[in-house]
Amino acid sequence: MKLLSLRNLIFLAAALLGVGYGLVFFYAPLDADQGFIQKIFYLHVPLAIVALIGFVVAAVHAIRHLRSNDPIHDLRAYTSIHTSVIFGVAVLITGAIWAKASWGRWWVWDEPTLVSFLIVFLLYATYYPLRYAIEDRDRQARYASVFAITAGAFVPLNFIAVRLAEQLIHPRTFATANGGLPAEMMLTFLVCFAGMAALWVALVRFEITAKSVSGQLGRLRRALDAGPSAPGTAARIAPGSPNLPAARLPDQA
Amino acid sequence: MSAALLPLAAPALPLDDAGQYVAGAYLVFVVLLIVYVGIMAAKLARISSEIASLAEAAEGGVTQPRPAAAPRTELEAEAESRAGGEIEEPAER
Repeated sequence: MKLLSLRNLIFLAAALLGVGYGLVFFYAPLDADQGFIQKIFYLHVPLAIVALIGFVVAAVHAIRHLRSNDPIHDLRAYTSIHTSVIFGVAVLITGAIWAKASWGRWWVWDEPTLVSFLIVFLLYATYYPLRYAIEDRDRQARYASVFAITAGAFVPLNFIAVRLAEQLIHPRTFATANGGLPAEMMLTFLVCFAGMAALWVALVRFEITAKSVSGQLGRLRRALDAGPSAPGTAARIAPGSPNLPAARLPDQA
Repeated sequence: MSAALLPLAAPALPLDDAGQYVAGAYLVFVVLLIVYVGIMAAKLARISSEIASLAEAAEGGVTQPRPAAAPRTELEAEAESRAGGEIEEPAER
């Protein structure tokens, strides 16, 4: 069994998140300025960072797809974006809750950090209509890859632009000019971040596996419908065939 | 102190205004996760039922007499021999 198999990843994510959020409530000190509200930080910030890194990871997979034309990279780019968009929803909702508790408003339109994240999120929300508006599979994958690369390049640029902005209502968490995080908070944050990253990887791999199996079932169905004597049937359903992303069917061996 | 007594020693969740917002934020995350897992579970259930129907179809095909004049091509024979083992998990390249 591989060390980072899907099962191990799920256990790792559950363990890290369990320990991390245990540390949040039983170990990390209360923030001198915000008090108990600051506990949202350990959920909101890891979600945001992992979501943004996920978009960049999708861009890397998209580049690999355009270079190799291997559909597995397109699938990985798609699932990376899909999972990051779900994380993005969580970021926006938890951020709005935190904003309401801290600033008394659910949303602040003149704060670059909030608006830039919303722009990135909405940009990636257009990925789905773009992708599914194209019927031809190859063109769909190519165009989706180009989109993922372009939008993925936008993410770090956006991050740098926000850092250079002057509006500072939204805290700069890791700024060192004002001392940054105390050691206990930093340790707690790092464990939560690792747990969230493990969760992201586990969800991506889970979905890739589900989609691979689903696609393989469709091919098996078509092969069976075509009949056992149809030319090339066996080649289409054989593992390792270029037409078939390999996937394990439990108890089918 | 035993692990079972740890929650008793921990500070109570301050469910004033701040506590409600914190609880709400964490609850949103848990709900989203549960919805996601629920959707994936539904997909897996559909895949599972499809596997069952495919197995039935395949078994039905085996029990029916195959057409006599259906010689296998070399490619089919080779693929069939390769398919003798377990179908591999997606290669995590």
